[in-house]
Amino acid sequence: MSDDTVRSEAHAPAPARTRRLAFLIDRPQWLGPVMIAPAVIYIALVVGLPFLLALYYSFTNITAGSRTLEFVGLRNFIGIIDTPKFQTALRNTFVFALGSQVLVIVLATVLALALMKDFRGKWLVRLLILLPWVAPMSLGSIGWLWILDSIYSIINWTLQAAGLITADNWPMYLGKPYLAMMSVIGVHVWRLLPLATVILLAGLTSIPQEIHDAAQVDGASAWRHLFQITLPLVRPIMLVATLFGLVFAFTDMIVIFVLTRGGPYDTTQVLSTLAFFTGIQGGDLAEGAAIAVFLFPMLLAVAIVFLRVARRTEVI
Amino acid sequence: MAEQRVNRRQFIKATGAGALATGIGANIIVPGRARAAKKTLKILQWVHFVPPYDEWFNKKLAKEWGEKNDTEVIVDNIGIAGINPRATAEVSAQKGHDLFLFNWPPPSFEEQTVDMKDVYQELEKKVGKPIDLCVKSTYNPKTKKYYAFSPSFTPDPVNYRQDLFGQVGLPNGPKTWDEVRTAGAKIKKQFGNPVGIGLANEIDTAMAMRTIMYAHGAHEQDSAGNLTLNSKETLESIKFVKALFQETMTDEVFTWDASSNNRAMLAGKISVALNAISITRVAEKENPDISKKIQLTKALRGPVRAIGLEHVMQCYVVWKFAENIEGAKKFLIDYTTNFRQAYVAGEFYDFPCWPKTVPDASKLLANDPKAHPADKYKVLDDALNWATNVGYPGYANAAIDEIYGTWVLNVMFAKAASGAATPEDALKEADAQCRRIFAKWKEKGMV
Repeated sequence: MSDDTVRSEAHAPAPARTRRLAFLIDRPQWLGPVMIAPAVIYIALVVGLPFLLALYYSFTNITAGSRTLEFVGLRNFIGIIDTPKFQTALRNTFVFALGSQVLVIVLATVLALALMKDFRGKWLVRLLILLPWVAPMSLGSIGWLWILDSIYSIINWTLQAAGLITADNWPMYLGKPYLAMMSVIGVHVWRLLPLATVILLAGLTSIPQEIHDAAQVDGASAWRHLFQITLPLVRPIMLVATLFGLVFAFTDMIVIFVLTRGGPYDTTQVLSTLAFFTGIQGGDLAEGAAIAVFLFPMLLAVAIVFLRVARRTEVI
Repeated sequence: MAEQRVNRRQFIKATGAGALATGIGANIIVPGRARAAKKTLKILQWVHFVPPYDEWFNKKLAKEWGEKNDTEVIVDNIGIAGINPRATAEVSAQKGHDLFLFNWPPPSFEEQTVDMKDVYQELEKKVGKPIDLCVKSTYNPKTKKYYAFSPSFTPDPVNYRQDLFGQVGLPNGPKTWDEVRTAGAKIKKQFGNPVGIGLANEIDTAMAMRTIMYAHGAHEQDSAGNLTLNSKETLESIKFVKALFQETMTDEVFTWDASSNNRAMLAGKISVALNAISITRVAEKENPDISKKIQLTKALRGPVRAIGLEHVMQCYVVWKFAENIEGAKKFLIDYTTNFRQAYVAGEFYDFPCWPKTVPDASKLLANDPKAHPADKYKVLDDALNWATNVGYPGYANAAIDEIYGTWVLNVMFAKAASGAATPEDALKEADAQCRRIFAKWKEKGMV
């Protein structure tokens, strides 16, 4: 088939319906929404609807095995607030989320700055850093469960082989409250570090080289360069990374569910795991939903503040 | 080379057609999917701890029953952790399997399940009465409904290291909880093997702690379903667990999941554990040396009684929205009537709730060629008499289920054992939680 034939076929008169479709497709103001619609629909169906359902359930008396429900107002929320189990979970949620985020941001900044430099094997380092993000969270957590296991911990085997501990005083990483909390925070940091690093790396590479050159010409020290030029310029994107991380940490349950299931004696119980145990294992879906959405107003406020600050400080 | 440019319009046409083809293509290309099918029976159950059971159930029983009843039997096996989330999802969608197996009593799903009274009646005519444990785990006396049907349960005997207990004067293993404490302390001191009874948020701990409570005369509820946790017997049982932990165990037990005691026993680390016979069965296959050292004993005697819990309670439900309710019920009747096959296929892991279905159970237990020695499992002969249900002496109900599922008692014992709370404070906190849970479910009319 010749080139001319192809073109003449492409320009042949089209039926009325096709012409109407073409009219929409050819207009950028329509095409944009059409192209982004699948993503929006996906988010609405997979995230939005379940969230609205959870919000609805939290004001009812629904159970896991029931389809009938009655509106009970704030009773589920009032009922849980006074319980020691909920208060412990709330406190643990903040320790877990804030502790992990501080570590993630500090370590991600260090890593991103290091990855800005040129060195041999940089691609390999980047690949290794990205691996935890690529691996499914549950599989990664199960891997850590074995690493921290009371019998087969490779850390303890290594320490014992090196003569640093003896067989009868192995640290029980998931058996002491402070060690267990450090362990779940550590695994969560391991998981989130790649995302934060990549986000910060993108922010760092977007700073124009002229600014760095000007600072160098003006004789700025490395610390001054870092704290007065680089970090202020990446602050907007750093806030976005922190926001992502905080939302993940406040709402995720996989790491804690796999490693400790809230133990030892609820010292790593967070709101998301408590919501699961109450709603799904315990059968009180309404109370589980109330626990799950309890922090939503706070997270929404944090998100709004972070995004506003990020927009205001945006200079690039 | 001719230039073939694809404009925006062509691109959207092509991708749209592709998406459409992906969506509906399978229905056009695979005619079998559109054809009217014969009757189907969809069963969902766990991945059994004894793999040959699934092999027998899925490939032999389901196939043969299907052929006999002109039904396509589809069996889906999922991990035990996925059971409750899956059940909740099926109820929410009002779609799923015809037969759904829980490994514990599911009273909170009562509203969505078919009454199994007729299945019980039919089986009583055929094979006699079921054991009390079976009824207590599937019947709601308040609504007078059998919300589930139980063909079998798994006993929870004491697994002990005969070589270690023999060296401290108990060659036949412990018979009482006090002996576990005294002999366990000696073994830990002399040989470094601690007692391995979990104190974590997991099901084996939940069973073990209730076993100790019941043996001390303590209970979550009385036979009429009234909360009775706050008692001097419960306090005594907490103090006992605290002493047991301090004298015989290590912090390891706070880290455990449901399979940790299996691993610890098989690795030769611990002296005693409460578990089903999965430990000994794995040992027979993978480590004959340790298999010879691990022996079983019956429920241990406490200050009030010798009692043990079911380790797994097989409870089938038929959803009200199931498409083949009659087929599901018939399958259960046939399966239970011929339960001996299941008993053998599961290597005696599942015990009959309808004792007459396995008339030669004692004989089989007394001579198992795989066991070391061949009569290792003989001690389970009277398990039907000493195994009881969660919620004893009452029925397993929705409040008991939530207390179990949210680890209220596990945390109570662990807090006291670790010293994070005094036994009195741990009990007070747990009692307050249980009161709330009971009040909630009573208000819903389920208890």
